[in-house]
Amino acid sequence: MQIRLRNLKRNYASLHAVDDVSLDIPSNTVYGIIGRSGAGKSTLVRLVSMLEKPDQGEVYYDDKRVDNLSKEELIQERRKIGMIFQNFNLFSSRNAEDNIAYPMEICHMDKAYIKKRTAELLALVGLEGRGSAPISTLSGGQKQRVAIARALAVKPEILFCDEATSALDPQTTRAILSLIKEIQKKMNLTVVMITHQMEVVRDACDRVAVLDAGHIVEEGPVSDIFASPKSDVTKDFLSSLTNVHESIVRWSNDGGHYTLRFRGGATDEPIISTVSAKTGAVFNIRAAGVQTVNGEELGVMITDIGPDGKTAAEAVRLLQDMGVLVEEAE
Amino acid sequence: MDAVMSFFQSTMFTLVVQATWQTLVMVFLSTIFSMILGLPIGILLHVTSSEEQGGIIPHPVFYNVLSRIVNILRSFPFIILMIVLMPLSRLIIGTSIGTMATVIPLSIAAAPFVARIIESALKEVDPGVVQAARAMGSTNWQIILKVLIPEALPSLVSGVTLTIINLIGYSAMAGAIGGGGLGDLAIRYGYQRFSPSYMVSAVIVIIVMVEVIQFIGDRISAHLIAKR
Repeated sequence: MQIRLRNLKRNYASLHAVDDVSLDIPSNTVYGIIGRSGAGKSTLVRLVSMLEKPDQGEVYYDDKRVDNLSKEELIQERRKIGMIFQNFNLFSSRNAEDNIAYPMEICHMDKAYIKKRTAELLALVGLEGRGSAPISTLSGGQKQRVAIARALAVKPEILFCDEATSALDPQTTRAILSLIKEIQKKMNLTVVMITHQMEVVRDACDRVAVLDAGHIVEEGPVSDIFASPKSDVTKDFLSSLTNVHESIVRWSNDGGHYTLRFRGGATDEPIISTVSAKTGAVFNIRAAGVQTVNGEELGVMITDIGPDGKTAAEAVRLLQDMGVLVEEAE
Repeated sequence: MDAVMSFFQSTMFTLVVQATWQTLVMVFLSTIFSMILGLPIGILLHVTSSEEQGGIIPHPVFYNVLSRIVNILRSFPFIILMIVLMPLSRLIIGTSIGTMATVIPLSIAAAPFVARIIESALKEVDPGVVQAARAMGSTNWQIILKVLIPEALPSLVSGVTLTIINLIGYSAMAGAIGGGGLGDLAIRYGYQRFSPSYMVSAVIVIIVMVEVIQFIGDRISAHLIAKR
């Protein structure tokens, strides 16, 4: 199911939590919405998932407008979406299978069907035989698996993930993300992932929108955003990623006036040697690495270019001609 | 042996057993009625409270009026409330004295207390869980019955235990105005007839009652938590 947002606005007192957001979330994709804390992510997800009504603007699921529904319609419409949360939000008064059964119970589904479907869902998320486990006995990853199963119980077409991996360690995060991707393909879901972690966008999303101060500052396929980030916020997110990620090797802590980003085929060509031969520029590489973004290889190199400014400028021009994105530090 | 036999056949023993039975009946019935009155009020208080407090249908005016009424009722000294409510007992039961007649003021006196206990137990429920239930398309009734009450159950059980123990105390006071029970026994025999043995036995029975109820309540609450 496709989701369209048109000029969404939501204010709290004098704060514009979400300010004029328009987005098209295509059907059958994993769509990331990334932003720092306070950027308006939580408000946006509450608006898109019909938990809150916008002050202005419209939300469409396919062609159905859902932001102005009556109470009863809202309840019916919410039963068609799935949602998972940072803190899992499972019912502690119910064991794993009864948590998964809840959304079906409230729709008054047949008991035998609920039982059968619960077993199916437990298997889908890799928790066969753990149905009777009390929630407190499960690990964080297992809790999120139960939450995913619960969200998928009513066969929704949309799954919202609100910081779904933020409370998990990196290894569990990867496992949960690959589970979500796998389920997305299997059920042709539209997954909307709200996060502040660039790793999540890199590992799971097809497209991403970057949210800052209530605005969308950048939007596009993840590999494009990674290869040529435009806004400062996005660059910040990317640099935090390159610093923490072990695929980038830094052998010098100072210097590095230029950041070069290569993508796809460019990573295979001897670009630096070619440029060096043509312009006489010398490269002093400070850090470099390759990471895989959404199945595409992306190279990053932090370097100084010499011997003088003129040669460097020429080299930069040539690099850009060859499809390398060059950022200059101030 | 003879001493033991004569104790069991003594007037005091018969009177204490009778009074204990009356107290149990009073406490049992007034617990039930105060729950019937207090539970809906407590739920109403919680659901109409502000969103930050976890209310699912926030209604500030309704909440404030109801909250004020509950506070006024709670601040009434019980002995005065009993006297005020005597005509009501006469209206419903036909008499304003006796064990059954005291059940009415007891229930009404405990109801606002129960309402507050229920409200605070429900307030402890994780708001995230309520949000999840709402996002899945639960109706307000489903949130109350399938989420709030089950999630708060251990605290609710503790609250009921506290209510019962409070009612044991209240019921002793009710004895003072002709309600029967252990309080009545202690005052009429122990105080007015200067028989400390009556006073002591009444107090011992009350202590045992409180201990047993607290023990059972704690066990049920702990059992519910252990299952989670």
